[in-house]
Amino acid sequence: MKEQILKNLSNYLELLQERFGHEKIWEELLISVAEYGDSDIYHNSIKESLEKILEVMKIDEVLCALDIITDKIEGFPKEDLLKYIIYIKNEYCLEKENNLREVKEALTELATPIIRIWHDIVLTPLIGTLDSERAQAMAEKLLLFIDANKAKYVILDVTGVPYIDTVVGGFLMEMIKAVRFLGADVVITGIKPDIAHTLVKLGVDFNNIIVKRDLETALKYVINLIEKR
Amino acid sequence: MSMLISIKPEEYDFFVRINEEKDIVIARQMVKDIAKKLGFSLADITKISTVVSELARNIYRYVGEGFIYIRERKEGKDVYIELVAYDRGPGIEDIDLAITGGFTTTKGSLGLGLSGVRRLMDEFSIKSEVGKGTLVIVAKRRRSF
Amino acid sequence: MQERVVPIIKIYDCLVVPIQIELDDTTVEKIQKQILSEIENNDVKGVIIDVSMVDIIDSYISYTLSETATMARMMGCYTVLCGIQPQVALTLAQMGVNIKGIYYAMNLENALEILAGIEE
Repeated sequence: MKEQILKNLSNYLELLQERFGHEKIWEELLISVAEYGDSDIYHNSIKESLEKILEVMKIDEVLCALDIITDKIEGFPKEDLLKYIIYIKNEYCLEKENNLREVKEALTELATPIIRIWHDIVLTPLIGTLDSERAQAMAEKLLLFIDANKAKYVILDVTGVPYIDTVVGGFLMEMIKAVRFLGADVVITGIKPDIAHTLVKLGVDFNNIIVKRDLETALKYVINLIEKR
Repeated sequence: MSMLISIKPEEYDFFVRINEEKDIVIARQMVKDIAKKLGFSLADITKISTVVSELARNIYRYVGEGFIYIRERKEGKDVYIELVAYDRGPGIEDIDLAITGGFTTTKGSLGLGLSGVRRLMDEFSIKSEVGKGTLVIVAKRRRSF
Repeated sequence: MQERVVPIIKIYDCLVVPIQIELDDTTVEKIQKQILSEIENNDVKGVIIDVSMVDIIDSYISYTLSETATMARMMGCYTVLCGIQPQVALTLAQMGVNIKGIYYAMNLENALEILAGIEE
């Protein structure tokens, strides 16, 4: 097979170039196959050439090209190359998944900033829709922050949250309760009609929770409490 | 033995025998270490250890002897810690009542034992047969962030 | 003589109870008895239980603490639980625990402030 490929290399490349282009990369692949295709050992140079091809061509085009070459070259290791392709695609998928997770993580970080805005006061504006995973990650972060900074008041501004479902509403209430176990108080601001609806349907006991109309009122209220002490 | 109330001990990585009060503390320390090794967050480690404390106490108080089994379980990319509390005690007559909270058969406790366990974990199942025993299986998934 | 399982320190009109041992059911019951007898023997207005070294508070421990606070109240004392760890706070909240009749404080200083602020 090696001699056959090397002898007719220019013919094959002409054919491939005509239909698919990218003559240089095809040349690399065919030479790698000629050199190492006979051995059973997985070889990096074949994988690298295939990676390059997959970057510039669609997968169905690559498969079609492999069919054509297999017809021309006797003993061409098409099956092995397909294995390589599956392997490469799988790696690519995993990488994508990792990226997606990182983005999700970053989103949680960005969407739930925790800011010490005044002596003893922490502000947490919630932005965007919450799911239970994000709500839990946020609760853990907030509690650690309060503990580390010994904050006495937490202003939870939910102006940026369009709606919450009952599960997330439950998590929020748990978070508020947990903050109170630490010895800090929570002031909620910016509750929209939908959220008010959900919270009441949840049967949330608002007796022990301070709610203010907006951030400004909440800040004035809390600062006033701190100055008084 | 009943088919319903049984497990295969060999499928579990660790177990703790509960028949003294100090075993409750041993069980929760052990689970804490295991959850830590599996990479759970500090908050989740605390939740899981608290669950074991509740399950072990139920065994110690109401039955006197039983076992806590622990294993790691993988489902696709998800990692779970699975805990099993198993005893051959008198069983629970009204399971629904036992897990809705406010239920308590001896003095003390907020009646939150099992309902608290259910709230803290992602999976919860209980099988009980009067005169045969009780099997509680719970699991928690490791959060990706 | 009452068995002593934890040190109890009297500061002004408060008792400070730092818990620095692993809590099992018997220990927490002993602590309850010890606190009540110290209240009886000392003229105090408040009890501060410091749980900053406690890694796990389960339903029975929290119930006993809440019970202790109610008993202390009957003897004319207010109870402050101080230094609950963040992860313990999250666990208690998710379990649905309500420790009633008790004040919460971040640290000892904060707890003393709270007790000083209660007007009889």
